[in-house]
Amino acid sequence: MTSAALPPLDPSAASAGAAPTGKRPGVTAQRVPLALAVLALFGWLLWSVSARQALLLLVGVGLGWGLAAARFGFTTGWRHLVELREPDGVYGQLLLLAVLAALSMPMLAFFPETTAALGPPSFSLLIGAFVFGIAMQITDGCGSGTLYKAGLGVPLNMAILPVFTVGSFMGSVHLNNWLALGATEPVGLVTLWGWVPALAATLAALALVAVAVRRWCGRPFSFATWPRRWLWGALVLALFAALNLFIAAQPWGVVYGFGLWAAKAATAAGLFDPAQNAFWSDPGHAERLHQTLLLDVTSITNIGILAGALWVAPKRPQEARQLTGTQWAVGLVAGFLLGYSSRLAFGCNVGAMVSGISTGSIHGWIWVPMAFAGTLIGVRLRRRFGL
Amino acid sequence: MRSTLLRRAIFWGALVAFIAWDYGHSAPVNLRLEPPMIAAGSGQATHGGHCSMPK
Repeated sequence: MTSAALPPLDPSAASAGAAPTGKRPGVTAQRVPLALAVLALFGWLLWSVSARQALLLLVGVGLGWGLAAARFGFTTGWRHLVELREPDGVYGQLLLLAVLAALSMPMLAFFPETTAALGPPSFSLLIGAFVFGIAMQITDGCGSGTLYKAGLGVPLNMAILPVFTVGSFMGSVHLNNWLALGATEPVGLVTLWGWVPALAATLAALALVAVAVRRWCGRPFSFATWPRRWLWGALVLALFAALNLFIAAQPWGVVYGFGLWAAKAATAAGLFDPAQNAFWSDPGHAERLHQTLLLDVTSITNIGILAGALWVAPKRPQEARQLTGTQWAVGLVAGFLLGYSSRLAFGCNVGAMVSGISTGSIHGWIWVPMAFAGTLIGVRLRRRFGL
Repeated sequence: MRSTLLRRAIFWGALVAFIAWDYGHSAPVNLRLEPPMIAAGSGQATHGGHCSMPK
């Protein structure tokens, strides 16, 4: 069985941000049809669906391009921190959170239409984030990572995407049972304190995390040697994620769209009756089940992310690597858990961590330590199975 | 190289087929109910799905 993966754990390559950058034959030949296809879809969405969705497609393309071109891997950043005490990726993530919070929190305050990514602190969140942290290390991709690596053509992530959608759907189906274990109302710092104190507290907390990371790694941060891809990757992602909030009035998310796709398929196949389910019988979700996914915000940005990563793909040829049957099985089970747990956790690295923290949701701050605890186990399981 | 292109073609073919199937099976888009192009400042409350939603 063949597979391919992004370059394996290699601190020197990661530090240098070494991506294959030489001119490759066929890059233009592959990009022109993609550009035309995206333009055609943009025009068709503009004409036949809605101008907002057309704009959000471009936002998704920008996010996918940023993720893939900068190789802005949330999972890899955490793994390098744990295994190599290499903090560059985590510093990039902290910068993304800080810049996006500085853009999002004023927006939430001045535009009442915009909403924060508010998930309820709950047992569901604790368990979901922990399991997600394990699974994302095994699959080498969180929600956005799975998307952009699937867009790049990494076989395991391409295969994981469908099971991720099924897992996300199943998680949403069972969500109310998990919430029954115990949950409190969501807490939003912008609503609670106002945007200035909320932003100040968020930036202070991020700075504390940076100090803790620096202590753990045992070396001071050096801007001069920090790979620039983390800098511009963070800025690009913050810009497009803020545009997502500005255009759609809701923060960037990934997982909801996946669950919706599987829910539509299951409903059409007669395998699922949404009217009998607490989550999908909610009027908002029921409406989205009824209408085309092209009208759904996260679905359209997910499609854009795939296209944005595909744009980068010709310059990022994937190393062919053999995966055993066991590795495939472990990867697919972890992919299912990735989807399931991200619904329990009220988001993945994007929906809970990036969007949660940047919009002042306490659930984002609970998500991070739980997912990190899961990561500590996940990296060991990853080594155990040779992934 | 060829296998990578083939994988991508299969993946995108499946995705496009799913979107086309969904579009054909869903309620027609009512352009009269089109959401505002930019929601912020539009005065209209949002009601999109997000993964942080408990229900």
